[in-house]
Amino acid sequence: MSRSDVLVDAEWLEAHRGDPGVVIVEVDEDTSAYDKGHIRGAVKIDWKADLQDPVRRDFVDKAGFEALLSARGIGNDDTVVLYGGNNNWFAAYAYWYFRLYGHQNVKLLDGGRKKWELDSRELVTEVPKRAATSYQAKDQDTAIRAFRDEVVAAIGQQNLVDVRSPDEFAGRLLAPAHLPQEQAQRGGHIPTAKNVPWSKAAEEDGTFKSDDALRALYGDEAGVDFGKDTIAYCRIGERSAHTWFVLHELLGQANVKNYDGSWTEYGSLVGVPIEVGDGQ
Amino acid sequence: MTTGGCGAPVGGAKVRKDGGREAVVQGRVTSGGAAVPSGYARLLNDGGEFVAEVPLGEDGGFRFFAAPGTWKLRVLAPGGIRAERTVSAATGEVTELEVAV
Repeated sequence: MSRSDVLVDAEWLEAHRGDPGVVIVEVDEDTSAYDKGHIRGAVKIDWKADLQDPVRRDFVDKAGFEALLSARGIGNDDTVVLYGGNNNWFAAYAYWYFRLYGHQNVKLLDGGRKKWELDSRELVTEVPKRAATSYQAKDQDTAIRAFRDEVVAAIGQQNLVDVRSPDEFAGRLLAPAHLPQEQAQRGGHIPTAKNVPWSKAAEEDGTFKSDDALRALYGDEAGVDFGKDTIAYCRIGERSAHTWFVLHELLGQANVKNYDGSWTEYGSLVGVPIEVGDGQ
Repeated sequence: MTTGGCGAPVGGAKVRKDGGREAVVQGRVTSGGAAVPSGYARLLNDGGEFVAEVPLGEDGGFRFFAAPGTWKLRVLAPGGIRAERTVSAATGEVTELEVAV
């Protein structure tokens, strides 16, 4: 796995978007963004309505994922190029999701919707029609998904990377600063976690920093031990999917999991240890 | 109002007049008096570290729920437009600013 296997730029996308077997998918935090304008030929996946179970707090199951991709006209052998707003947060989340259910050929558009817009590239409102497929998903690959008990067991044993902003890490805020502070759980972070905000991995235009810069960021600056397994978390698991992408897909770290329960689960558990303050 | 969880407000931020328990920083980006409907507002802390980012609404609007303190607001828009302002936020207050670029 290398950068060119998992990232494409705008020039690549403009050259290949009409190719058979290439499907462009927009996944946004603001789920109305696609309707205002999107990359020509792109279909939409709604991270919440399409990817979350409507009742339980969990993902859509394998059958639900198969039904979603089939309806969007995505085949098992297609190259899926994901992009979205907010520096690809939710596109990275969807990327992790595609990997979780075993899709092999999936990539992110470097810089996502932001760089595309800032570069004044074309956006259209026309919604493409794609013929339905019969998508076959694999069972969830839990080698990349962490659950709460293994997170508690990882304290002091594995790298825990808290990718939220410093104020969330310290317990001064309970949600990112562009969202209402509506959560009722305790503030703080998992003991021994390193705080490496996801945003440090991205340039201002939303593109990922170079591999060398990323290695220095996590290793030299934050003290992540690349010889150990790693669990990344944030508030609900989408920003940490961005960091999972950096560590697992760009830097090629072998055992990296995204804890999608993240702080909204951990910070509501009874009896688990919590640290507050800025940490080391 | 939100889509739930980490979802952003559909269609961008809606202006409100009181900060509740939060320290709200909101405003709009204009050019020649007209709204800049395409672009991004980034909130940076006093040390210049990134904290949050929102796309501008169709009226050029943005809104953040910050902690009390001093912040930098940076605007990026197509055509290489950049602007930066310093702003103070206080709990229970809405700090309004218009950023002319």
